[in-house]
Amino acid sequence: MSSPAIRIRGLTKDFSFGIRGMKLRAVDDLNLQINQNEIFGLLGPNGSGKSTTIKIILGLLKASSGSCEIYGKPSQAVSARHSVGFLPEAPYFYRYLSGWELVRFYARVCGVSRSTIKEQVDSVIELVGLTEAAHRRVGTYSKGMLQRIGLAQALVHDPQLVILDEPTAGVDPLGSAAIAEIIRELKRRGKTVLLSSHLLAQIEGLCDRVAILHRGKLVREGRVDDLVEENETESLFVEGLSAEGRAAVEKTIAEQGGRLCRTEKPRLNLDALFLKEVNQHEAEREAESGAMSKGGSA
Amino acid sequence: MSGIINSVDRVRLIAGNTFLEAVRQKFFNSILLISIALVVSSIFFQQFDFGTGELKFITDFGFGALFFFGSVLSIAATTQLFFSELESRTALTILAKPIYKLEFLVGKFLAAHMLMLCFTLIITLVLSGILFWRENTLMLRLGEEFLDGRLIRYGDVFLFGLLQWMKFGVLAAITLFIASFSNTNLYTIMVSFFVLIICQLQYIALDAYSTIEMGAGRWLVQVLSLIFPNFQLFNVGDQLVFNAESALPLATVMQIVGYGFFYTVVFILLAQLSFRRREI
Repeated sequence: MSSPAIRIRGLTKDFSFGIRGMKLRAVDDLNLQINQNEIFGLLGPNGSGKSTTIKIILGLLKASSGSCEIYGKPSQAVSARHSVGFLPEAPYFYRYLSGWELVRFYARVCGVSRSTIKEQVDSVIELVGLTEAAHRRVGTYSKGMLQRIGLAQALVHDPQLVILDEPTAGVDPLGSAAIAEIIRELKRRGKTVLLSSHLLAQIEGLCDRVAILHRGKLVREGRVDDLVEENETESLFVEGLSAEGRAAVEKTIAEQGGRLCRTEKPRLNLDALFLKEVNQHEAEREAESGAMSKGGSA
Repeated sequence: MSGIINSVDRVRLIAGNTFLEAVRQKFFNSILLISIALVVSSIFFQQFDFGTGELKFITDFGFGALFFFGSVLSIAATTQLFFSELESRTALTILAKPIYKLEFLVGKFLAAHMLMLCFTLIITLVLSGILFWRENTLMLRLGEEFLDGRLIRYGDVFLFGLLQWMKFGVLAAITLFIASFSNTNLYTIMVSFFVLIICQLQYIALDAYSTIEMGAGRWLVQVLSLIFPNFQLFNVGDQLVFNAESALPLATVMQIVGYGFFYTVVFILLAQLSFRRREI
């Protein structure tokens, strides 16, 4: 497949409402290209047109003008969706089915052959870490588990393009980290991932490129590093510097024509701190229970 | 060819899943229990001592219960099964898969139709059981009235059930069409009941206007009678079960079934035309 995963050209979507048929423009002349094996973030505040764009990509909505292609096929064509997996925002599934039955149902809808279906279902359930809960009813799942079973149904037919609408919304940091790890694994497997979110901290460490939408218009687009880097300044992280040494560094900077703008202590972000503490605590608990079971058996 | 097989398989999957959801709903079970209770309650009218007329009374009572509760269930279940997918947004996940909207609609329709098949079968079985029991009792008591054998043709009870089931199919397809452009459950249910009354009573308008000369009024009624199916055609209860001289000809039964099938297909296709433009 030499075509880009998604190519959007001049996409505009107007919604009519009211008796007079007044128009609301949800997406305004959007141009985007998402390449293969890329993690692409669609960012923007609520009402910026992210979900509308995703629905047009999935063929659930028809564009007012412009075009959208998936691997070179018009997104309105049903055949284009063979290579797409989709996780909607806050997914809701048939509550009376078990997680395994649910994923199997979607696999059959996608035409996964009967000879490989069990293997495929088991494999994606393992990928999302729900093997132990696979035979529980979906109605008993937590929010994070619902997101993960939603990911499993999106991946069960082994699509090349995975579209995730707010995949970590309402999920705790541990769950979010697990989902982020699954997304990285998808990239390692050669998949293309398009995800929309307004949780920017999570996107920053995950995406290769991002596009920022506001009121349906594309505001910025590019590589994450290029967009967030301050080109005019540099950071030096120094350890064990005395007061005299610091004065000397400042003097040198001034002599070399630079200007010390600010000094600050490097900080962990709260997500990273939370994950570090919880993982450390979990490791200690496992070590303790391991030691106790060894002691017990001895 | 494999495309058609895959399409049938997807429709079957959606229908099966929706049917499972439907039979787990309290509404279906409640209607079923009320209908059975009503049919069974007809045996308590034996204290009026109708003689063999009691069998006719039980049959009419059972057919009436089948028609009334079947119509309620057909409209309510189709509406509920359609809107539950949209409101809970499971439709979003399904329609994002390589699946046609027509397959989704047909799956929904077949689930509602299978539900009505279960309902119709259970009611006709209960009705036949009661009729058989009462007929045996009356045969012992009033032997001289049964010299020519049994009065009831039990096959006709099921034939009536089949024709009613076809009618419920048309009603489900009409409900699906209304749901395809409507925004709420309530609107769909109200309009569907309104259409049911029109379809049920349109023969009165046809009779009234058949005597007038050709003109705009007659032309309008004829057009409307084509748009709205005539549900009276399915109400052949009086020609069935007790009419020993002339059973309903097979050709007539096939014509009624064909009539129902035609309108079912037309309304599903109309639903598809409307649903393809709908925002999910």
